[in-house]
Amino acid sequence: MVLYDDSATLAGSCSGSSSSFSSKPPPMQQQQDIDDLLAGAGYKVRSSELRKVAHRLERLETAMVNSPADFSQLASDTIHYNPSDLASWVDSLLSEFAEPPTCPSEFIMDPVTNQTVANDVWTTTNPNMPQVHHNISYEQQSLNNQLTVVTAMEEDSGIRLVHMLMTCAECVQRGDFSLATSFLKDMQGLLTRVNTVCGIGKVAGHFIDALSRRIFQGIGGGSINGGSAFENEILYHHFYEACPYLKFAHFTANQAILEAFDGHDCVHVVDFNLMHGLQWPALIQALALRPGGPPLLRLTGIGPPSPDGRDSLREIGLRLAELARSVNVRFAFRGVAASRLEDVKPWMLQVNPKESVAVNSIMQLHRLLGSDSNLNSPIETVLSWIRSLNPKIMTVVEQEANHNQPGFLDRFTEALHYYSTMFDSLEACTVEPDKTLAEIYIQREITNVVSCEGSARVERHEPLGKWRTRLSGAGFRPSHLGSNAYKQASMLLTLFSAEGYSVEENEGCLTLGWHSRPLIAASAWQAVSHAPAALDTHRPVVSGACDRNFSSTHPPTALASLLFLKRNDEEEICFESGEKGTPGLDWPYPNKEREMGKNAASQHVHVSISPHLSTPLALPYNIFIRDGHFILT
Amino acid sequence: MAGSNEINLNECKMVVPLNTWVLISNFKLAYNILRRPDGTFNRHLAEFLDRKVPANANPVDGVFSFDVLIDRGTGLLIRIYRPATGEEPQLNIVDLEKPVTAEVVPVIIFFHGGSFAHSSANSTIYDYLCRILVGTCKAVVVSVNYRRAPENRYPCAYDDGWTVLKWVNSRSWLQSRKDSKVHIYLAGDSSGGNIAHHVALKAVESGIGIMGNILLNPMFGGQERTESEKRLDGKYFVTLRDRDWYWRAFLPEGSDRDHPACNPFGPNGISLEGVKFPKSLVVVAGFDLVQDWQLAYVEGLKKAGQEVKLLYMEQATIGFYLLPNNDHFHVVMDEISNFVRSDC
Repeated sequence: MVLYDDSATLAGSCSGSSSSFSSKPPPMQQQQDIDDLLAGAGYKVRSSELRKVAHRLERLETAMVNSPADFSQLASDTIHYNPSDLASWVDSLLSEFAEPPTCPSEFIMDPVTNQTVANDVWTTTNPNMPQVHHNISYEQQSLNNQLTVVTAMEEDSGIRLVHMLMTCAECVQRGDFSLATSFLKDMQGLLTRVNTVCGIGKVAGHFIDALSRRIFQGIGGGSINGGSAFENEILYHHFYEACPYLKFAHFTANQAILEAFDGHDCVHVVDFNLMHGLQWPALIQALALRPGGPPLLRLTGIGPPSPDGRDSLREIGLRLAELARSVNVRFAFRGVAASRLEDVKPWMLQVNPKESVAVNSIMQLHRLLGSDSNLNSPIETVLSWIRSLNPKIMTVVEQEANHNQPGFLDRFTEALHYYSTMFDSLEACTVEPDKTLAEIYIQREITNVVSCEGSARVERHEPLGKWRTRLSGAGFRPSHLGSNAYKQASMLLTLFSAEGYSVEENEGCLTLGWHSRPLIAASAWQAVSHAPAALDTHRPVVSGACDRNFSSTHPPTALASLLFLKRNDEEEICFESGEKGTPGLDWPYPNKEREMGKNAASQHVHVSISPHLSTPLALPYNIFIRDGHFILT
Repeated sequence: MAGSNEINLNECKMVVPLNTWVLISNFKLAYNILRRPDGTFNRHLAEFLDRKVPANANPVDGVFSFDVLIDRGTGLLIRIYRPATGEEPQLNIVDLEKPVTAEVVPVIIFFHGGSFAHSSANSTIYDYLCRILVGTCKAVVVSVNYRRAPENRYPCAYDDGWTVLKWVNSRSWLQSRKDSKVHIYLAGDSSGGNIAHHVALKAVESGIGIMGNILLNPMFGGQERTESEKRLDGKYFVTLRDRDWYWRAFLPEGSDRDHPACNPFGPNGISLEGVKFPKSLVVVAGFDLVQDWQLAYVEGLKKAGQEVKLLYMEQATIGFYLLPNNDHFHVVMDEISNFVRSDC
């Protein structure tokens, strides 16, 4: 009996995500080597690896037969990842065993040569078999106009309404606005006879409005895009309450962040859209409870500038700090005010090379996509600087929809189905004003998708397949979400939401949808390793005044910078700038408990400051705070 | 037992292509993990592991699909597959329920397999199979996402099948031009075949006409241990033990395998003599350990004077119809097509 030594094979394995540093054949080649038929069944296995996978399955079977109860328990308790990658899945199960069982039947004695040969008796496919043309890649399908429809039974007038909507949209695409207008009138009339409380009637009304807007007000967005940040936050909050999509997004992202931060003591989360910071109490509490104690947690929250002198970012930060204090988590918060994500520069985030960074983007990346794939689109710039931060993890949640197609009718059709499914799912919510305001929140998205173009159209949702391609191309690799996250998300849904919502596993990512239609997709990513990029070192000198509360006024020519002051004992203090009209930045107030000390006026601190000016300067500086002024030397 | 298992693994390797062996062994392994000895089922892990695919109203290889929520209360979902007519380049959502145009259009109500516990209408393997059926039979296929065991025991799956049958029968857009009636076939593999039989029974009682039943490796059983069960136990991916588990999970608690749901022509079965039962096409795989029960089913139909055609695929294992890489697959698809189109 020969013991089959697997170590060599495993070391040389190129399968799945287990070996990120092995040399892999170029992607095209990889794709071509995938077994067609298994791909059609949902499994991606390289033809060249089939035998190896088969042998491993045999070994697992032997283990199962030898101790079925133990095996089942073990396999049930273990965390599974990306079942589509069969080779990796099988390997991970095998690795659960301290001593992987060998399978004697893998090798037999060849009676003629008396040598051990691999037992490879699988029948081969008849080469004369008629080839069944097979669409091997469902991922490819989704990139090529996947249109998923889940309908409920509709009354006839509802169907007529849909027919008219499609025809009207077609007229708009052709530029025949007068015919489109007459359809609009007909539809308004039909609306009065259709049940607009639920089903297609409700969502149709919003689409009719959006079409009207496009025809009569043009594609610049107007008042919809000008909706105040304050309004948006209120609507967002009610959308959060009325249905589980945002809760799922937060929960799944937090799981991934928690796992990524395991064993790290200095962690920094960058939130691309703070809103009310609803995501973070759970993470703070989870970190408080982690074995070994909580890390030092820094949170940088990005959000739009507040009008009227309010500072909502800071307020949220203070509340979160309060919570963190109550659970003994060392916490520091910084707000970065920016009306657009692409205005944020990495140096504003003040990432410390020693800390572990998580970048969290809940439905923000799509806003960076341009309508054309032009070279300098903001998405590439932003992804590039995210990468330069060398984050431990980047969590991405996006609407699972193809709303960025170039053709108007295609977009319209997709949106009609997507949003009617979403509205359908909202039916289960009976709490007001959550439901009504949630609907308005969704309505704004519809209006943007349908009636805006160019830079006004920010709701450029793309499906998971496209994000995978984009993120892989930008130097990220997937960090798979596992069966534990799946199970917990499912259980939470069962406990707290109406029936009909379903979580699905999609090649390492999780989606939440209504029945069989995924509506939102959550994924996690890691930067593909390389030498950490140098942080931005262009740091001109700035000086300015600051009052007792450290709110400073800057000379108009010097744009605001983020001050990050450290005392000798490494405690962090944040300073605030109250400068109005300071593009992109906001500084939180210092924690009142943290005094600067009696010699505050002559404290030496290290700072890095990088305003918009491009004059390069070297590090480090000394900063003096004296009589309400700070001076850099 | 290790010794006999060595032989087992080798034997089944010799009758299936490598990729089929990998696919079915993968299911076997996963399903073993999911079934708990106490009769409960790891549903979360099952759903996590199952490969699924969304519907697509844009035609792919001449077939498009869309989902319909038939019953909000139970969450009963169906996936409808239709042949694309090829007239419009882009399918309009209104065309989803556009009336069928041919004189006679077979409508196949399909019940996926999974031993009553596994898989869904949107499982990738079954989405694929349904698309093939549309293509070969020039039919509309309605795949039923019935409630599964052990959470939902007998008769839930049958009730869901019956609900869908009534729904399909009442769609004017599915009526064949020839007689303004919906030409319905019931089809299914494994547990789906069992469901097809029982839904047909209910249809007959209620006066809904079924054109034919197609049973692919249908799941039947009984208290007795048959010769094939003893001979083939554990040899070709399936064990008696797992069969027993699934019956215990589906049948009412306290029942044995002679319950008529499991054993329709057994001691507790009802006679079909004189009943206007649809003609049946029954496919039996030569390496399926429950073939004696399937053959008994065919005999039972014959004895009751019912029209039945048996397709015995000698060298076939369970799941041979999941991948189009073997002769049996193509033979069976042709037979199903003939069965269905003989009424057109």
